[in-house]
Amino acid sequence: MTQTEPVAKKTAAKKPVAAKAKAESAVKKKKSGLAFPFTAIVGQEEMKLSLILNIIDPRIGGVLVMGHRGTGKSTTVRALAEVLPFIERVAGDTYNRTVEQYLEAEDGKKGGKAIDPATLKVEQIPVPVVDLPLGATEDRVCGTIDIEQALTSGVKAFEPGLLAQANRGFLYIDEVNLLDDHLVDVLLDVAASGKNVVEREGISIRHPARFVLVGSGNPEEGELRPQLLDRFGLHARIITILDIQKRVAIVKLRREFDENPDAFMEKYNAEQQALQQKIQTAKDLLPQVTMTDEVLTDIAKLCMNLGIDGHRGELTITRTAHAHAAYKGETVVTMQHVKEIAGLCLRHRLRKDPLETLDAGEKIDRELAKVLGEVEAV
Amino acid sequence: MIAFTDIVGMDLAKQALMLLAVDSELGGVVIPSAVGSGKSTLARAFADILPESTPFVELPLNVTEDRLIGGVDLEATLATGLRVVQHGVLSKAHGGVLYVDSLSLLDSSAVSHIMDAMSRSEVLVEREGLSEVHPAKFMLVGTYDPSDGEVRMGLLDRIGIIVPFTAQNDYRARKKIVNIVMGTRDAEDTQDELNMLAGFIKAAKEQLPHVSITDDQIKALIQTAISLGVEGNRVDIFTVRAALASAALAQRSDVEDEDMKQAIKLVLIPRATRMPEREAESNEAPPQEELPPPPEDEPEGEDEEAPADTSDSDAEEQQKETPDMIEELMMEAVEMELPDNILNISLASKKKATTGSRGEALNNKRGRFVRSQPGEMRSGKVALIPTLISAAPWQETRRRDSKMAGRPKTALLITKDDVKIKRFRDKSGTLFIFMVDASGSMALNRMRQAKGAVASLLQNAYVHRDQVALISFRGKQAQVLLPPSQSVDRAKRELDVLPTGGGTPLASALYLGWETAKQARTKGVTQVMFVLITDGRGNISLQSTFDPTAEKATKEELEKEVEALSLSIQADGVAAIVIDTQMNYLSRGEAPKLAQKLGGRYFYLPNAKAEQIVEAALSF
Repeated sequence: MTQTEPVAKKTAAKKPVAAKAKAESAVKKKKSGLAFPFTAIVGQEEMKLSLILNIIDPRIGGVLVMGHRGTGKSTTVRALAEVLPFIERVAGDTYNRTVEQYLEAEDGKKGGKAIDPATLKVEQIPVPVVDLPLGATEDRVCGTIDIEQALTSGVKAFEPGLLAQANRGFLYIDEVNLLDDHLVDVLLDVAASGKNVVEREGISIRHPARFVLVGSGNPEEGELRPQLLDRFGLHARIITILDIQKRVAIVKLRREFDENPDAFMEKYNAEQQALQQKIQTAKDLLPQVTMTDEVLTDIAKLCMNLGIDGHRGELTITRTAHAHAAYKGETVVTMQHVKEIAGLCLRHRLRKDPLETLDAGEKIDRELAKVLGEVEAV
Repeated sequence: MIAFTDIVGMDLAKQALMLLAVDSELGGVVIPSAVGSGKSTLARAFADILPESTPFVELPLNVTEDRLIGGVDLEATLATGLRVVQHGVLSKAHGGVLYVDSLSLLDSSAVSHIMDAMSRSEVLVEREGLSEVHPAKFMLVGTYDPSDGEVRMGLLDRIGIIVPFTAQNDYRARKKIVNIVMGTRDAEDTQDELNMLAGFIKAAKEQLPHVSITDDQIKALIQTAISLGVEGNRVDIFTVRAALASAALAQRSDVEDEDMKQAIKLVLIPRATRMPEREAESNEAPPQEELPPPPEDEPEGEDEEAPADTSDSDAEEQQKETPDMIEELMMEAVEMELPDNILNISLASKKKATTGSRGEALNNKRGRFVRSQPGEMRSGKVALIPTLISAAPWQETRRRDSKMAGRPKTALLITKDDVKIKRFRDKSGTLFIFMVDASGSMALNRMRQAKGAVASLLQNAYVHRDQVALISFRGKQAQVLLPPSQSVDRAKRELDVLPTGGGTPLASALYLGWETAKQARTKGVTQVMFVLITDGRGNISLQSTFDPTAEKATKEELEKEVEALSLSIQADGVAAIVIDTQMNYLSRGEAPKLAQKLGGRYFYLPNAKAEQIVEAALSF
């Protein structure tokens, strides 16, 4: 080889780096720069509320955030991690299971010996937020055989994927409308069953995978598959902010953050904690929230008048209204709560009419007013 | 290699790159320019003004997903028996420049990955058993020829600077370029100039943190963005950054008017979706729900649309506190730039009809293999390399097992689980290009039908991955109202304003449709179908579209032109149907003839409903 020195150096730098030990890469993953604080995000209340309500009650079924480019969709979702409450899991469990879930799945498995619950350590972890990049391959999403372990110790062990990490947490897909069909199929399967099943190299794994699905995208880049659209509990819409004062505030906050992220985070620390606390309080309050039959009837009427198929509409409104009441610190759901979240719950469930000029939100409001009018008339 | 300082002309592009060199947070620079303008030479010379050893990575157009994001290094994995990571192109550009030539031809999945990396400043590698995060903070420099098609808006949104479109360098500048290429310039001069420029930029970088901008100035910039109908809020941050960088380059500590103008020119105007209104009503913010309507697409009507010269007394009634002075100034800057630019930028699709075509040479990208996925051996083409990658680490163990089981020795042990099959990008459905005759009295009716049909097709498009485009023809020439799209939202928005009446430039429509088809093919669309809604009677020649001074064509000439075009289109494998919605007694049989020339079918559907049109299109 007669290469000159700099060239030789270059090739050395290009040399592939061996995969790091698993633990290390997990740590590395968490440390990917400071996220802009959730409480410093100006405007876009609809999206923020949707996300918060899903933390309060994960059964709402996730949020789809669709709207204009450059309006802070992914910034907001990524900021969510910092205000999430904590959950309890068996220490080090890759599927984030509770003690009960762990015992149910693992008891008697290891050589038939029963696990003594007293030997299980538990730990508190923040609700996980897992990012699913568009380029992910199926084996990393679902999990696969751990090759290193197989090679070094000859054991065929399962290496959990993103779905395992997301169990009991959030799974976020940016540009969800561009996700490969193949992965959409996988997601639909898992979202419906709450379980992930992997069969490979002669082993069969089944693990819980219940997560709040959060997707974002710009509708102009492509439509979302109808089955996937239907999976999302809420649909938040996001548009360019046209209020100048707000926009000036956004620019100034962003500049302040970019200049000194640490100081900026410090400044918002109290607000962040207050929000986190408020969410936790709402979560605790949720079981006590009740709804009268009258309100339920009105919800059913609304869905019927809008011609919504199935019962997912009613169910989502009911759950979301409960969470919304809890977030406001109230224990009885009123039609006012319903009114504030109906658009979020129903927007994507209306039948599509190609020539309809009326915005889905307006249509819902109109029907809502009718239902409410009836209430007053009686 | 031609140095940055030796490049003549393209001043705006140079300024843009200098701003980027001062503030890499601007994200990048996009340079739309015609063939042979020297844009790629300039982009490559960008490295000259960056600090030494800054990575400069050029992205090949045919890049595969694993090369882009990173993945398993097959060679090293086979050699070591351990999974070895190969960093992708995106991560190799970390801390430097990612350069893409012909940005508009880049595969849509590659664009998505670039967008994703830009929004995170890193690449998440979740592939083939790897779970890694690689840093990937880079400046994206892209050049493209607008006649090859548009760059995806989502990507442009992450790039701070878009240089206004330049068609061609002038003659003198080109001559100078030739001189430089021929080596008539003194190498020493070049080096001195480069050193000086590098010094400027270094000083500007040091100055940057000391530059300040007032709230009123920020307000004025944002007001301008709103007036121009620019989408999103991210662009505000870019505009402010560009103004600051411009001031830093001039070694100022305060942003001045010229910096603001520069920012408006390079960040906002290229993203304009409408002409600004100068009067007070422009300050009444449009309703939050709806985006401002797109500009009227009438180049010849421009003069009438220019704001009337009125006194400033009305301005006092403005509710906004933005100081009038600054705003006035900005509007001036905008108006000075607008007439030439707003109609020329890639974002405005109407220009395409008159630009040359280069798309054909790149047609070989059709159905390109982009990624592999697990699958049955028989269910598709086996992707050999990914299959090997997945089998490689297992060879030792399998050999052992196989030996123990007493099976004969084989060189390679591949099991069903290893098999990966190829996925082709855009095994996409059909692109339906609706061409609607918007001339004459029946135009409104036809447009309504077409609109319904477009929307209805799009509702079902997802299943088949179909796309729809809409071209209307009236007056002097045809124009693309809706570029190929799958989005119902976008279609609805773009189709809201539908001008009608005037002559019938049928040939122009066919030509534009063909161009659209060619462009779509470079992006992976394999089937194209024209849906012509017309009575088939053209009366404006293509010749006169290009050359307004041309003499009026005779009936024979018109027919010949349409025939020649139709035959070429047919030979190019484009399917077509012609739908005639005219009352029978008016028809003179031109529409069936047109269908015949195109090798397509003719439908006579008076008062057709949108559904009938869709049915006809799908039945073919």
